[in-house]
Amino acid sequence: MTQTAQKSGTREAETHEIVVDEVFPHAPETIWEALTTGALIARWLMAPTGFEPIVGNRFTYKTTPAGAWDGLIRCQVLEVVPNERFAYAWTGGHEGNVGYGSRLDTVVTFTLSRVADGTRLRVVHSGFVLPKNETAFRSMSDGWKKVVRQLDTVAGEQD
Amino acid sequence: MISETTTVDTVMRALADRTRRAVYERIAQSDEITVVELTRGSGVTQGAISQHLKSLKQAGLVAERPEGRNVYYRARPQGLAPLVDWVSHYGIFWRERFADLRTLLKEIDP
Repeated sequence: MTQTAQKSGTREAETHEIVVDEVFPHAPETIWEALTTGALIARWLMAPTGFEPIVGNRFTYKTTPAGAWDGLIRCQVLEVVPNERFAYAWTGGHEGNVGYGSRLDTVVTFTLSRVADGTRLRVVHSGFVLPKNETAFRSMSDGWKKVVRQLDTVAGEQD
Repeated sequence: MISETTTVDTVMRALADRTRRAVYERIAQSDEITVVELTRGSGVTQGAISQHLKSLKQAGLVAERPEGRNVYYRARPQGLAPLVDWVSHYGIFWRERFADLRTLLKEIDP
């Protein structure tokens, strides 16, 4: 889970991560408040239920259900380093779904660093498996690998 | 969002079937190909191939071009885009959330 890599290989399948990195004209302490206060999280992300910024804390976000999935994103706080680093597990979905609502076992990590004009905030959402839980895809047949290569081409064209 | 989800599901389901995926790959490897050519050496009936082609067409993965008595099929690479869109869903999600965070920070720390 390096912060710069977009993809990291595992034995089973490739996992993908999403990185968004922006500078905000505010002090790290201010951003930290927005990241770790339930009432403030509700105003920019989603309203968390049962959230406390304590390692081990479990909380949920309610989103749109799909199939056998109740729409709950179940989170657990993994790391709290005030004004620097905040990470939590982000899991949800159901094996029975494909695409939206498919099983998701990911980690969201926020990293804050002070820069001249404010704070650089980076979110890394890691652990996306492509494809998600499609039994036929698990074989990782040559056929699928070809599709993945084509996906890469399409992704490249979109960049 | 609903229609986007449907599209992703359609594409993933279309490619989840091993035989259909093989049909798709043969089409992708050819410039254009007919049902008869696809059936040859496939081990399944022309009727089955036609059904697979129908699913692939509905998923937007292949396009057809009738010419005389033949119909030629070709791959639509852009048909795979919904899968990429799904993967990038969270990328868009976080960029949008960051925009909302920026607005919130401006309010609480003008």
